[in-house]
Amino acid sequence: MNDTAPLWELVDVCKAYPGVVANDRVCLRLLRGSIHGLLGENGCGKSTLIKTLSGVQQPDSGSILRSGRPVRIDDPRTAREMGVATVFQEFSIVPTLSVAENLFLGNLPVSRLGIVDWDRVHSDAAAVLDDMGFDVSPQTVAGELSVGGQQLVEIAKALVRNAGMVILDEPTAALGEEEIERLHRLLRTMRDRGTAILYVSHRLDEVERIVDEVTILRNGRVVRGSGETGINVAEIVDAMVGENIGEHYPKVCNAGDEIVLEARHLATASGVIDASFTLRRGEVLGLGGVLGSGRTEIARALFGTDRITAGKLLLRGDAVRFEREIDAIDAGMALVPENRKVDGLFFNFRAGGNITAAALPRLVRSGLLDLAAERTATRELVRDLEISPQAEHKTVDFLSGGNQQKIVIARWLFSNAQVLILDEPTQGIDIGAKIAAYTLINELTRAGKSIVLISSDHDELLAMSDRIAIVHHGVVHRTVEASSLTHDDLVRASADPDEHEPGEVAA
Amino acid sequence: MKRIVDVQLIGPFAAMLIVAVIVSLTTDRFLSVGNLSNLSLQVSIVALIAIGATVVIFAAGIDLSSGSMVALLTMIFAEMLKFQGIPLAFALPLILLTGALLGLMLGLVTAYGRIPSFITTLAALIAFRGLALTFNGGAPVFSLDPALEPIFYARLFGIPLPFLYLVFFYTLAAFAMNHTRLGREIYAVGGNPAAAVLTGIDVNRVRTITFVIAGFMTALGAILMSARLNSGSPNYGQTLELQAIAAAVVGGASLAGGRGNVLATLMGAMTIVIVQNGLNLNAVPSSVQNVVLGLIILLAVGIDRWRPELSVLLSRLLGRPRSTGAVAANKTV
Repeated sequence: MNDTAPLWELVDVCKAYPGVVANDRVCLRLLRGSIHGLLGENGCGKSTLIKTLSGVQQPDSGSILRSGRPVRIDDPRTAREMGVATVFQEFSIVPTLSVAENLFLGNLPVSRLGIVDWDRVHSDAAAVLDDMGFDVSPQTVAGELSVGGQQLVEIAKALVRNAGMVILDEPTAALGEEEIERLHRLLRTMRDRGTAILYVSHRLDEVERIVDEVTILRNGRVVRGSGETGINVAEIVDAMVGENIGEHYPKVCNAGDEIVLEARHLATASGVIDASFTLRRGEVLGLGGVLGSGRTEIARALFGTDRITAGKLLLRGDAVRFEREIDAIDAGMALVPENRKVDGLFFNFRAGGNITAAALPRLVRSGLLDLAAERTATRELVRDLEISPQAEHKTVDFLSGGNQQKIVIARWLFSNAQVLILDEPTQGIDIGAKIAAYTLINELTRAGKSIVLISSDHDELLAMSDRIAIVHHGVVHRTVEASSLTHDDLVRASADPDEHEPGEVAA
Repeated sequence: MKRIVDVQLIGPFAAMLIVAVIVSLTTDRFLSVGNLSNLSLQVSIVALIAIGATVVIFAAGIDLSSGSMVALLTMIFAEMLKFQGIPLAFALPLILLTGALLGLMLGLVTAYGRIPSFITTLAALIAFRGLALTFNGGAPVFSLDPALEPIFYARLFGIPLPFLYLVFFYTLAAFAMNHTRLGREIYAVGGNPAAAVLTGIDVNRVRTITFVIAGFMTALGAILMSARLNSGSPNYGQTLELQAIAAAVVGGASLAGGRGNVLATLMGAMTIVIVQNGLNLNAVPSSVQNVVLGLIILLAVGIDRWRPELSVLLSRLLGRPRSTGAVAANKTV
C-alpha cells in the first residue's frame, strides 16, 4: 500500500446518458482523514459521480484508483468490499427490522451450527452505537426512528463494516438543526480517526461548517478542484453558477394586468403554513425555495390534491374550493407533476390516450368517444408542440423525456386549462428539449394562459419567471420581480429568507 | 383501431389454433359436429364470467369470488323459483341485480375500504360458498322450472343460444372498452392510478364499477349454470374463478393492469376449454386436468414476462434482426 497516495482517486471519469453528458472528464481526490465537499447545483453530475463510486454504474471512460492502484468497481457489492459505504438520500435500511439487525444485515454473526448469535449481534451493535454517541437501543425497530436517526443507522452500518470511505448524498436535506449538529459531530470524529468522507450537498451554509476541501461541479465538469477554492461561500457560489447564464432562455414577457388566481394566507395539513400571492393573465410566477420548502405542497393545494385548511383561493375574483383534482381541472387548472413517469404518463397509451385523459367528456358524442376527433386533436397537438410523430402510433414509453413532457403539457392544452402548474418541467431532459419547453411556456403565456413554475434550477426559474415568490418552510415570504433578483440572491433567499430582508417578513 | 385489435388477437388466436390442431391429432372425435357444438356450450359459462374477470384485471384488480358467487346465486335462484314461487320472468332480473349488488359490495370494500381486491375477493370466495350452504340445508335443489332449460339448450335459426350470448356480450364489451369514456378510464386506472387521479379520473368509482360488471357477468353465468342442469347447488362453480382469470391471462391481459383486449379473453377461454376437452376425449383423469390448467396459467404469464427474451430468441431462430416494433404493437391498447 502506498500511504501517500489518496485513498480514492478518479481520473478523467466520463459518463453519458442519452442526450446528456453527466460527467465530463471528472477528477477527484479523496484523502484519509478529510471531509471532502462535492458541490454543485441540481443536474451538475453529483449523483452520477456517487453512483460510479458506489458501483451502481460503470463510467464510460477514465480510471478509478484505490491507494494509487487502478480498480474496477463492478457492482455495489464490490464497492462495499472495497470499503466504500454510501448513504443515499433514500435509505436502504429495512424499517421493520431492529437497529441491530439492520447493522449486521447480510453479515449476521452465526454460531458453528449456522444459528444467528443474537447475543453477539446485540452487544456488537450496542458497542458501535455507543462509540458513535448515538443513544438508541439496538432492539429499537428502525422504522420508528426519526429520519435523522435512520440516517445515523446508515452511518453505523458503515462503521460496522469498517468502511474506509463514507459517501453522504445530501445528508441534511431532511434534518432539523439539532440533528444536523449531531451528524456533523459524528463526521468530525470519524474524520479524526482517518475515514475519508465525501460530503455531497448543494447547501452552502453547511460547507463552511464541516468541509475541509471542496470540488465544485457544473454541467458535468469540475470547475474547481480541491485546493483551488477556499472554503468561502461567495467564491463557491461564483464557481457553482458560472458566467454567461441566461443566454439560452428565450423569455418573452406576456404578463397582463388582470389577476387570474389569488391565494390569500393558504394553509394545508401537508406543510403549507401561510401562502399568499397573485397570478396575472399571461404571467409566469416562479416559486423559489429549496427542496422541502413547501413549493410542491403549494402546487398540491392549488390543484385540489391537498385540502386547504385555512385561507382563501380566488379564481378571477371568485372564491373557489377544490375538494378534489377534478374540481380544479373543471375550473381550468392543470398540473404537470414533478415526476412525469410516476404521476403523469399512461405508459399503456399512445399519445392520443395520454393527451385526452384529462378531458374525456370533450370527446363524448351521444355517449360514445369520438375517436376520430381524438385522432385529429392528437395530430394537431403533436404537430404544434413538435412532438415526435411516432407518438401517435406507439405507446409513450418509447419516447424521449422531452417528448414525454410535451405530451403531458399537451394534455392540458386539450383540456383548455387556463392556469398551468409546472413542477420541475425540465428535470431530466436535455438542453435542446429544455429550450423547446421554454418556447412552449412563451407560447402558453402569449395565448393568455398563466403559469406557476416550480424549479430547482435557479437559472431557469430566474430567467423564465416574471415574478418569484420566495417559499421557505411553507411560508411565502415575499414576491419580487424576477429581474430584480440575481442568482446569488435567490440561492441565499431560498436558504434563509429572514436574514437578508427582515423588514419585509410577516410576523 | 381495427389494426391494433388485429395485432392483439394474433397471439391468442394462434395459441388456440395450435391447441386445437394438437387435440385433433390425438383423437378423431374432436372435430365431430357433436363435439364442437358441445364445446361451444361448454365454453359459454366460463367465457361470460371471464368478461368480468378481464375488466377487473384491466383496472389492475383481481376477482377470485366468481366461482363461489355462481354457487350462491344458483341457490338463491333455486330458492326463488322452487320455494318462493317467484315467476321466472321476475327471478331472472332479480338474480342479475343480486350479482351486480354483490359486485358493488366487493368494489366498494376494495376501492373505498382500501383493501386489496385479492383479499376482498378471497374473503368473498370463502364467504359466498358458506352462504350458498345456508339455503335448503346445504343440499342441491333440482327441477327448478321447466321453462329454465331452453335458456341454455334452445337454438335460434339453428344456432345454440349460449353462442349468441357470447357474441352479444363480447361485442358489447369490446365496443365499450374502446368506444366509451368508462372503457378508457378503466384502462387509465389500470395503467397508472396515480396519473389517473391527477387527470381527474375518479379512480375509486371506476374500480367499483369493474366489480359491478364482474358481478353482473357472474350472475349471467350462474343463470346459465342453473338452466343447463335445471338445478341449484352450493357445489357449482368450483375453480370457475381460476378458469376465468386463466382465460384473461392466456388472452394476454396484463395482471399489472391497463393492457389487453377483451376479445382475446374469448380466445383464451376457448383454448382452455379445448385443452380440457382434449384431455376428456383422451380419458385423462380430472385430477391431471387441474395440473394442466395450472401449467397453462404459468405458461401464459411466463410468455408475457419473457417477451423481450423470447423476441431475441425468435429473431435468432429466424435469423432476422430483432424488431422492436412488434413488441411495441403488442403492448398497445
